[in-house]
Parts: sequence; structure tokens; C-alpha cells
Amino acid sequence: MVNIPELFIKKGETIGLVGNNGAGKTTLFRMMLDLIRPDSGEVISDGKNVAESENWKDYTASYLDEGFLIDYLTPEEYFHFIGGLHNKTKTQVDAELPSFSEFFNGEILNKGKYIRDLSKGNQTKVGVAACLIQNPQLLMLDEPFANIDPSTQIRLKNMIKEISLEKHITTIISSHDLNHITEVCERILLMEKGKIIKDIATNSNTLQELEQYFSVLS
Amino acid sequence: MAILILYILLNVVVVAFFLDEILKKTNPSQDILYSFNGYIIYYFLMDLLLRFQMQELPTLSVRPYLHLRIKKHQLINYLSLTSLWTTFNITPVLLSLPLLIKIVLPQQGPAQFWGLLLSIIGVTLSNHLFSLWIKRKVNLNAVWMLIFLGTLLLFVSLDFYFKLFSISTLSAELFTFVMASPLFSFLFLFIAFLVYFLNYRYLKSNLYLEELHTADSSHKSSTEIPYLNRFGKAGDLAGNELKLILRNKRPRSVITMSLMFMFYGLIFYTNPTFSGYAGIVFCGMFMTGIFIINYGQFMFSWQSAHFDGILVSKVNAVDFFKSKFLLFTLFSSLCFILTIPYVYFGWKVLIVHFVMFIWNLGVNTLLVLYFANQNYRRIDLSKGATFNWEGVGASQWILSIPLLLAPFILYLPMSLLGYPEGGLAAIAIIGLFFMFSREIWLSKLVKKFQEKRYLIAEGFRNK
Repeated sequence: MVNIPELFIKKGETIGLVGNNGAGKTTLFRMMLDLIRPDSGEVISDGKNVAESENWKDYTASYLDEGFLIDYLTPEEYFHFIGGLHNKTKTQVDAELPSFSEFFNGEILNKGKYIRDLSKGNQTKVGVAACLIQNPQLLMLDEPFANIDPSTQIRLKNMIKEISLEKHITTIISSHDLNHITEVCERILLMEKGKIIKDIATNSNTLQELEQYFSVLS
Repeated sequence: MAILILYILLNVVVVAFFLDEILKKTNPSQDILYSFNGYIIYYFLMDLLLRFQMQELPTLSVRPYLHLRIKKHQLINYLSLTSLWTTFNITPVLLSLPLLIKIVLPQQGPAQFWGLLLSIIGVTLSNHLFSLWIKRKVNLNAVWMLIFLGTLLLFVSLDFYFKLFSISTLSAELFTFVMASPLFSFLFLFIAFLVYFLNYRYLKSNLYLEELHTADSSHKSSTEIPYLNRFGKAGDLAGNELKLILRNKRPRSVITMSLMFMFYGLIFYTNPTFSGYAGIVFCGMFMTGIFIINYGQFMFSWQSAHFDGILVSKVNAVDFFKSKFLLFTLFSSLCFILTIPYVYFGWKVLIVHFVMFIWNLGVNTLLVLYFANQNYRRIDLSKGATFNWEGVGASQWILSIPLLLAPFILYLPMSLLGYPEGGLAAIAIIGLFFMFSREIWLSKLVKKFQEKRYLIAEGFRNK
């Protein structure tokens, strides 16, 4: 049961969502993405209720799990499709793809594989890249660091920091890795049993504070 | 598909109950039991071929147990036992039992009855285990398939082409002998046991996932379906769904089955008792609408694996539905074109087919999509479609009622009054009406979809 009386997210903020399994992070994401209808209350994005207007889809990109990928397409086909939804031509998408070459580390493009044949980590890369192709104003990633290798984790951190600085994108990321999340995010929301029990502006003590919370719990 | 399986099973039961009558008619000069025995080997050769085509290999089911403290021989027994529950193993007994009870039991006695029954069960089991074994072999090396098919072809050609010996006589003599000395039926059970052992030994040394399950490692290339581009976003979505159909096992087998259905007319139209319009209406609806019925009944389950992705991405629900209509129109037109040769049986056949084509596009598309909004069952695309009940729920059964009845409700009253053409016209007019008023129904469907999408998405997330 997720029960959040009130939560404001300002434009351009980088939010980190932490909490043990079952705390309600994914459910919160799904509610914000209008995949689950809340029993009561509403999610307002840019002044409009997400369940009533579809405007949020114009500027929101998200990757929660493999269920967001069309797994029988090749990564290229998928990128073209997603780009097409945002009125980008194939050539435009193709022109953007090289900028991900470092992030992909040669494992995604021109491999002659369908997405379903990629490893879970590589699927995450496809999902994240597909988000960025949409040029979002709001980016939501559920545990993006979970299955990817250390080098890619570092690259992903840099990418997120970069886009939130340069493009002023609002980002909401969940993670179990406290190091990563405190490094990337300026505001941390700690969830427990469906409630947000802490809302911290990140500072030099945040990591310690979180580590203490999680060790006491166990 | 649910209707289809039930229909086939019903056919089997009917054939089984009248088997003695059928045999008497086809071979009037022979003793019924002798002709029955003569067909047994033929049946099991066909059975073997069909199994080779359609039977599923239950291998991945052991994956969660491989690393646990469970002995290998237990796993192998588990694999062999769980595979037994298939229609292929039930039909032989189902087919022969009525005849065995009606004829063998009173005429020959219980020993002969059991002898023949056990033999049939023995051959069934041998066939079952043998096909599993050969399929696993083929998975590793395709040469085995050539050897297998070659041997089969050799036997059949020796019989029919070179007339060196007759499988039918061999079969009749063999099983008549078994009836004479029923204890020999244990020989068949022994053979089944031998094949089981063969399977066992093979699995014991090959119980590794990558050997049991060959992943398709060929190069996959990005393709574009050119013609669909002109339909905008709905076209893109239809293109994706076309790829879904072509690149996944289960929808692909639905298409293969639909294509086989194109021969359905041959059964009906060659038979003079079905020369009225009603038969053609029934047949024409199935042939031109088989894709809508067979593929459409599982909508949107086909996309269950990435349904969340569809909901959050910038896919408009109207485009989503339009892409379905596009796909239906595409495949139905193809089916209609493929059934044009039936004009051989008269112009009236072609006209009725066209009327039913209109009906399918106008009414059945809407019907199928209406039920798609109530369907919350997930489907795994990588499994075969034959006798696969995953995703089959109440909605498929309820759907089949209006699907089958609606055209006849329009046709029969007029036909009984003596105006069959009027009935046909009624079907055409209603079909056209729904085709031209599609936008109205589309907006109703979209509205319903917006309400139901949470439930659908939740259902699809349940693996």
C-alpha cells in the first residue's frame, strides 16, 4: 500500500528514491506514469492530472523494467520506433545514436540480435537510451544501476548529471546503491512500507545517514 | 483456437463411436477387426509425423531444479512423466476404446480386449518417447531429421510405389496375432520401456540447458515494412505487430494454421449435401476471417510482454486500435484472395465469400476488439500454439457464441421463408453498415479501453 499525502517535485530537480524491497518505489513510479490508478488522490504533472490528460507523454520518458521494451525488435528498430513517436525521422535517430557509443560499449548496435536476446544489463542500456532519444523534460528510471557493469554505471551517472545540469531535466531515479544515488541526486526520498519517511536535501552527511538507517533496520 | 480444439476433439469422439460402421462401409468384404488392425500402423506413422511437427519438448521446465539437491535421474523421470499429458497420447485410446468395447470384448473376450488395448498403449508410449528422443537429437544435429524422414519415406514408398510389401497387411497380421496370443502385447510395452531407456541415457549425458535448448543464434537484421508507412503512426504500430507475428513462435503458428484453414472449403464444397448457402456462409466466414478469429481472440495478450511500454509511450489509443483494423484488413484481404480459386465450385461461392469478407471486416473485427478489452491474460510468445491453453479464458468462449451465431440469425429466417438471397443481402448490408460506421464504434472501444487499461496492464504483469 503506497500512501503519500503530498509530494512536490520542482522542475529541474534530481530526485533519488531509496527504500528496501516492497517499500513501494516501483508502485510510486507506476502511479506517476498512470499505469496504476490510485484509490484516492491524483498525480499532477505540469498542472494536469496524468489520468485525464495525455500531455505528460510528450515530455516524460521512463524505463522501469523490460516490460517497457518491445523485445522482438532489434535495438535499432526500437529506437526508430520510439523516435518516430516523437516525430523524429529514421535519419535523425541514426544521427543521434553515435553519441551513445561509449554508453553502449559496442554491445548494442549492429549486433544482429533482437532485444530479447540481449542480457538484462544490455536491455537496460537500450531502455535508458530510448528514454534519452525522446528528449524528455522528465526522466524516470527504476533501478537503472542494477544490472549494468561498473564502467557503464559510472558512464550512466555522468550522463544523468550532465543532462540535468545542461538541459535542466527533472529526473527521478530509484536505486539500492546508496553511493550512486547520493552522488547523482540532490534530493533523496526514503520510502518505507509505502510512505515517504525522509525527504533529504543531499549533503556530505547524507550517505552516512542513509547507511545508518538501513543498518539499524536489519 | 479453443473452439477449434473442441471441434477436433468432438470429431474424434464421433469417429470413435461410429468406427465399426465406418470400417464396414470402407472395407465391406473384410472382417471389421481385420481392417481395424490393418490401419493401426498407418495411424501411428501419421501420429509420429504429426508429433514431430507439433509436440512440445518439455525441457526448460527443469531449469529451476538443475542446481538444487535433486538427483539427475529424478529430473529425467520428471521430464518424461510431465510430457505424457498431451492430446497425442489420449486420442489413440479414445479412438479405439469404443470399438474395443463394442466388438472385441463381446466377440473375443477380455484377454483379447486387454491384449489389443495394451498394445495400442504400448505403441503410443513408444511413439511418444521416440519423438521426444529424435527431436532432442535434431536439436543438436539436423542430420537426424533427414535420416528419420528418409526412413519413413522409404517404408511408405516400398508399400505404395514398389509394392514390395503392404504395411496394411503387416499391421493386420501383427495385431490379429496379438489378439490370438494376448501375452505378446507385453512386447509392445517392453519396446516402450526400451525407448524410455534410450531417452533416459540420452538425457542423462545431456542435461545441460544449452544442449537441450538451442537458442536461435542467426543474425537478425532490422527490416522495414514499406507499404505500411503511409498509414502514419497506426501504420508503424501495425508494422511492429507484423514483426511480432513473424518473429515469435506462437503467433507464427497461428498464421500457419490459418493458412491450412484455406483448404477448409475443400471438405465442404466437394460434398453435395452442403451445396446450400448456409454451408458456404459458415465456411466463407471462417476462411476469410480466420486471422481475425484466431489471432484476434487473444488481443491484446500478444503484446502483454510490453503493454506497460505501450501505455507510457506516446501511443495514441485511437492509433492503437486503428493499427488493429489495418492488420485485420490486410490479412483478411489476403485470405479472400487466396480463396478466390473456390470459384471453381460456382460463382455463388465467390459472391458469398465476398459477403462474408465484408461481414468479417465490419462486424467480427469490432466483436473481437470488444472482447479484447475484457481480456487480462498474459501470453508467452515463445511457446508453440498447438494445444496451448495459455491465455484461454472465459472471454474466448463467450466470444465464440456471437461469432458463430450472428450471421445465421440474419440468414436463417429469410432462408426459411424461401429467400436465401435475401438472407445473404441482410448479412452484406449489416456488414457494410458497421464498416461505414466504424468511427463511431471505434470511439466507444477507445473509451472502454481507457477505463479498462489499468486492469489489462495489471493482468498482463502477472506472469
